[in-house]
Amino acid sequence: MTKARSVAVIAILALFATASLLIAPLGAQQLSERAKQVGTKIKCMCRGCEMPASTCSHPGGAFSGMCDTAKGMLKEVDQHIAKGETDEQILQAFVQEYGTQVYTEPPKSGFSLVAWALPSVYLFVGAGVVIFVIARWRKRSVEETAPASGAPGISAELLERARARASRETQD
Amino acid sequence: MDVFGSFALVLAFICAVYAFGGGIAAIITRHPLLIKSTRQAGMATCCLIFLATFSLEYLFFSDNFSIAYVVSHSNHDLSTFYKIAALWAGQEGSLLFWSFLLAIYVFSVLLTYRNKNGELMPYVGVVMAGVQIFFLTLNNFVASPFKVLASPGADGLMHYVARADGNGLTPLLQYPEMVIHPPNLYSGYTGFTIPFAFALGALLARYPGEKWIHLTRKWTMIAWMFQSMGILLGAHWAYAVLGWGGYWGWDPVENASFLPWLTGTAFLHSVMMQEKRGMMKVWNVWLVFITFLLCILGTFLTRSGVVSSVHAFARSSIGAWFVSFIVLIILVCLGAYLKNRDYLKSENQLDSIVSRESSFLFNNLILLVSCIAILSGTLFPVFSEWITGDRISVGAPFFNKVNIPIGLLLLFLTGVGPLLAWRKTSTESLKRNFGWPLAIGVAAGVIAFTFGFRQFYSWICLILCVFVASTVLLEFYRGARVIRARSGASFMASAVDLTMRNTRRYGGYIVHMGMVFVFIGLAGAAFNRDIQKDMRQGDTLQIGPYTLVLQGFETKPEKNYTAQRLLVEVLQDNKPTMMLYPEKRRFSTTEENGTMVAIYSTLKEDLYVVYSGSSPDTQLPVIHAYLNPLVKWIWLGGVVVVFGTLVAMLPNRRAVLVLAAAPQPVGQPVATGLPSSVTLREGHD
Repeated sequence: MTKARSVAVIAILALFATASLLIAPLGAQQLSERAKQVGTKIKCMCRGCEMPASTCSHPGGAFSGMCDTAKGMLKEVDQHIAKGETDEQILQAFVQEYGTQVYTEPPKSGFSLVAWALPSVYLFVGAGVVIFVIARWRKRSVEETAPASGAPGISAELLERARARASRETQD
Repeated sequence: MDVFGSFALVLAFICAVYAFGGGIAAIITRHPLLIKSTRQAGMATCCLIFLATFSLEYLFFSDNFSIAYVVSHSNHDLSTFYKIAALWAGQEGSLLFWSFLLAIYVFSVLLTYRNKNGELMPYVGVVMAGVQIFFLTLNNFVASPFKVLASPGADGLMHYVARADGNGLTPLLQYPEMVIHPPNLYSGYTGFTIPFAFALGALLARYPGEKWIHLTRKWTMIAWMFQSMGILLGAHWAYAVLGWGGYWGWDPVENASFLPWLTGTAFLHSVMMQEKRGMMKVWNVWLVFITFLLCILGTFLTRSGVVSSVHAFARSSIGAWFVSFIVLIILVCLGAYLKNRDYLKSENQLDSIVSRESSFLFNNLILLVSCIAILSGTLFPVFSEWITGDRISVGAPFFNKVNIPIGLLLLFLTGVGPLLAWRKTSTESLKRNFGWPLAIGVAAGVIAFTFGFRQFYSWICLILCVFVASTVLLEFYRGARVIRARSGASFMASAVDLTMRNTRRYGGYIVHMGMVFVFIGLAGAAFNRDIQKDMRQGDTLQIGPYTLVLQGFETKPEKNYTAQRLLVEVLQDNKPTMMLYPEKRRFSTTEENGTMVAIYSTLKEDLYVVYSGSSPDTQLPVIHAYLNPLVKWIWLGGVVVVFGTLVAMLPNRRAVLVLAAAPQPVGQPVATGLPSSVTLREGHD
């Protein structure tokens, strides 16, 4: 009985030991993978490149991989992760340190929201214009023979004369 | 030679001013001799610019190190090949190069139309001369490439000095593509001057809109083709030289080159509305004005350093000149439009929403939205600094998020648009044209999904690529089948015949196919992988199916630089496949470094190996290996796009020639001179 119990205890201990061995490197790996992920959201602040810290490389430099600044920044990210901070908290810590230039994309808050909203605004306004134009053209198509609204400031005859002149004066 | 070059530039400026002023006088007086002399002044301007450019090249080739520009961008050991490229390595030379390329276009236009369009050409000549005057002002008075080095002597006077050797060309430019990428891109930028000059000229001459489009179609396509090639070559250069594994970083200067391409593409599509239906004349005039303005803006961004970028080797303070010129163009365009807009009356009518017309409207909408979104994103840091005092950077992640959905919408329209009929598309034809392609696209999506293809945008992109490719192939198949049934020729020959009968339509399809290839390549980026490792000799590194073994290291002194190469053996599935030699170059004159990436490229993926240098920590060589799927499709797509554009520029082969070539019974007259109505269905664009 005691023997069986001690075997069980050893087995459990062994299990925990191996598990912790397994988890430890796995944890470390996840940590740096996440640091890399967060690192895509912050810009390398070495001022020699304009790249995200994770993909920093120095074209034309003696070493074209990640520079010391970027490495330092990623290590800092790692430390923040170790403290259990969220991505957003980490990002804010970097903004505190370097200012808004550290962003690789504008934050989704405050004035920067304008940057994010603009493309959709363009699309909706543009689509509105296109739909309006289509509707107007269709209406005109129905009225076909009726004179178009907003008639031109020159007479049809003058326009025709200009057209005739254009074809007379040009050749391909 | 420098005096010769400067003198040629001054004379060119004088001739351009004469071509401009005399041209206006010629328009007013209609005096034939004045018209002729201003045209010749325009041609003389171009010839003088050619001479100035050649004399600057001569100064490079003769290693004349008393010229500031030559000293800054060349050295004795620089190879001949790169001495050509040194011309556009800096601001002064690249502005002269702009003038040079513009002169080629202007000269060709003046020569081509010397006996044609006598009433319109003085207007066009004046606009072209106006643009030339601006650039010649920069070449002569703001950024002269012929400045000599001088220093004050003991007598207090300035004395010429000559250096023994130059500072050399920046290593980033010492790459074969740098000899062809800028000329292509600049040919695109400058080329849009021609449709712009015709559009503005025709508006000033009160032409009702159709003519200039017809006259400039080929010029626009040439400019567009060069712009496309320029952009893709630039992307390839970034990929092969910068060594960060990507090809497009949404750098402000990259964006600047992309903007006129977008509006130019919109223009190439919407002109068809005008040609076929007499619609959108006002819009087309403005599209070409905007494209030209964006070309000038692009040159300005590249050459001024307003926004920071990797192209910062071309910084300067000529911004004010460009801004003034841009404002002037806007005012002139606006004035001409307000004065003569009545002549642009369009016959805008739409019979059905499901029609080619509305697909063109949406095509233009999406291209323009993409253009404005990129423009405002690029300038947002400047705006945010103005308004809030904080400079908020807008980088690649933003542009990707915004432009990927827009790009996919555009891809969808690429498939749908060309197959919609003009005026109205029947439900029957919708079924006939889209049934199979849609089924094939969805099937491809299902297969890809079951094989674990789960990245949303890439998955959508794949479905759309298959769909668009199917629509294009189906069009070729249907047309070729009809021809084959009549002529009995092989299927391939029938497809070629079909293309040659309506080059514009089928050339356009080929361009669309090229764009599908480009999108396939872009979709691959979602699956990029990379790994970086400090390597001892004999160490291995695993990425995907490849094992890289570092076999050795060698130093090779070359004429202008010292190369350090790694000898990397590549095993694929544990079988020796090849050797790769990623390289780092140390340039003796500039003491700068260059990277030569070793790429093993297949249609499936690129194995991209960078020698990053020695690790600052371990002093061991560091290999950064990337596995980039499908990248080759982008370059392949570029080739197809260029091929398609060239096809679209060919004149249509008349079907009667085909009939004539068919065996004719003896004694019967050869079927020439038949009206085209007897041929197969006349194609439409």
